[in-house]
Amino acid sequence: MITLGIDIGSLSTKSVLMENDEVVAFDVVLTGGTNRKAAETTFENVLAASGLTRGDVKFVVSTGYGRENLPFADKHVSEITCHGIGMHLRNPDIRTILEIGGQDSKAIRIDDGGRVEQFVMNDKCAAGCGRFLEVTARAMGIGLSELGEASALARNPLRISSTCAVFAETEIVSLVAVGTPVPDIVRAVHDSIAQRAVVLLRQVGISGPVGMSGGVALNSGVVRALEDKLQTSIYIVDNPQVRGAIGAAYIAQRLA
Amino acid sequence: MDFDSIAQQRATQYENMLRLIGRQRAPSEDAAPALAATRMRSVVNCDRIAEAYRADAKVAYVSEQFPTEIVFAAGVLPWNIESMSNMLAQSLDIDQVFRLTQERELSRDICSFLRGPFGMMLAECYPRPDFVLTNDQPCEGLLKTIFMSGKRYGVPTFALHTPNLLDQDALDYLVQQIEIMLTRIAGVFQSDPDPEFLRSSIVNSNRAREYYRKAALLLERHALPGVARELLEIFGMNYFGAAENIDLCKTLYEEAVVLAKAEAPTRPRVMWIGQTPGESDELLRHLGRSVDVLYWAPLWEANLMALDEEQPLRSIAERAIRYHWNAERMERDLDHISDAYQVEGYIIANTWGCRNMMAIGPTFRSLAARKRIKNLTISIDPVDRNNYAFPHIKNRVDAFLETLQ
Repeated sequence: MITLGIDIGSLSTKSVLMENDEVVAFDVVLTGGTNRKAAETTFENVLAASGLTRGDVKFVVSTGYGRENLPFADKHVSEITCHGIGMHLRNPDIRTILEIGGQDSKAIRIDDGGRVEQFVMNDKCAAGCGRFLEVTARAMGIGLSELGEASALARNPLRISSTCAVFAETEIVSLVAVGTPVPDIVRAVHDSIAQRAVVLLRQVGISGPVGMSGGVALNSGVVRALEDKLQTSIYIVDNPQVRGAIGAAYIAQRLA
Repeated sequence: MDFDSIAQQRATQYENMLRLIGRQRAPSEDAAPALAATRMRSVVNCDRIAEAYRADAKVAYVSEQFPTEIVFAAGVLPWNIESMSNMLAQSLDIDQVFRLTQERELSRDICSFLRGPFGMMLAECYPRPDFVLTNDQPCEGLLKTIFMSGKRYGVPTFALHTPNLLDQDALDYLVQQIEIMLTRIAGVFQSDPDPEFLRSSIVNSNRAREYYRKAALLLERHALPGVARELLEIFGMNYFGAAENIDLCKTLYEEAVVLAKAEAPTRPRVMWIGQTPGESDELLRHLGRSVDVLYWAPLWEANLMALDEEQPLRSIAERAIRYHWNAERMERDLDHISDAYQVEGYIIANTWGCRNMMAIGPTFRSLAARKRIKNLTISIDPVDRNNYAFPHIKNRVDAFLETLQ
């Protein structure tokens, strides 16, 4: 039986086709201004990649911020639940998950079946989220994908406020203006994100290895900063940006 | 101020108030009250509110959880400045009210349950008081705001300082303050305190409280749609001491008995901890579709205790101290209530700027962890829409609800 999990995030929309609990195909597109259109596009992409048709898909679970705006979904589930399941499927030993998405970050504690026991999310500002990295990259005129490598070259530790993304951007612009090396600034931004994430993780309680999912897990600079602060290595799940969609597709398998 | 000036000012304030309330946001299908007690409460409130704008009315501003039995005993109408915030939050003109507070340099970081009422005074919507009465619990911010209102109208102000610890010295101290306050109220209205009025007010309070308590106890064992909310509203309205409150609480109890027999299906119970949005709020309606929401404050031990009719002031003092946000007592209280009402989840709501909730929140979260109760902390502002919108938190609320399934 074939199911679809679709995760409509603020920055990107991800879809996963699953058959008998195995991923058949996945796809990621930018959400842009119309999340329904992004969902249609990515759905078509996974169908094309797998050679299947819409009629083959028996059940659709949508997740992410745009989950309720999808007319062809059979059920909506929050991405917190989906990331819990998605991570558990890949590594059943993981009990604590950090998921940093475009507009929020979450620390999730799951039980031995992948069910969410407790979670906390960032509070009033996007300073600890993917959007903050986007703002940072733009302020320094470098690409989002270059941030990880850039921070590895940092030499002088700096501190950037983590209270507000807009205030932090002001700080970054000031640092750029006085000629502060870009790698040092990027490292400070990653430290700032890691600092907030560690607080969230400790609030839910770190139990065993920490797994990371969400698009920001692809940023090696943030991961390095987290590992420094936690003094332990972090398990980065493969295809972290589609882990929520995988969880959604798996839930769909159970509900179909 | 002379009688004619007061009459003119209160007439204007009444018009302003009606205009502001009349500019409501669009009603929803969930807005219609279902219980007779809810409708009765509306009538009682309308009557008391209209009366407070009459030129010859004796009006005292009071703060939340103030011992209103004393106010009713003095023949004075208590005007709870804070309890109207939710209703006023529904007005399309509420932004204008908050703008007035900011123009007077009242920080936006102050809880909107305090800023809102103060803005209502600036907008000349509340009736001018003859007296301002307050206490320093649940918070110092409330005390300071209500002092500002006394200063604004140039009327006598009296604050009860409530000790945190409950012992004989604390009770003596608080009783002494209440006695002084009674003398001052009498001085303002040039009449001696009448022990018979106080006795009658205490009896009224106890009779209402008995029905209130029995309704709360029924809620322990039965799903009673609407009753938890009505208990909250009666607690917030705080008309204990007024004769009408007996009928109101009796009606609620009688409806609760009928509902208990109907055996409504049980759903997961979630305890709301913190200041509460109005009943038609989007968040509460969202929660109500999948869980039964109970409200912690109306179930506090202090709200269920009868007053000692032989020693009323001492008994009022004890209740006031029990109301105080003493962390140990609150934790014990929540622990007990969670078991009694079989609560499966907590929503800990930090109203923007409420330092009390932010400070005591970790205690509740630790308790939830010990009791393995799912919990969610949210930052909201149910009154000032500049600080919060439901979509900000919907995602985490949905995830929390999923953990209860």
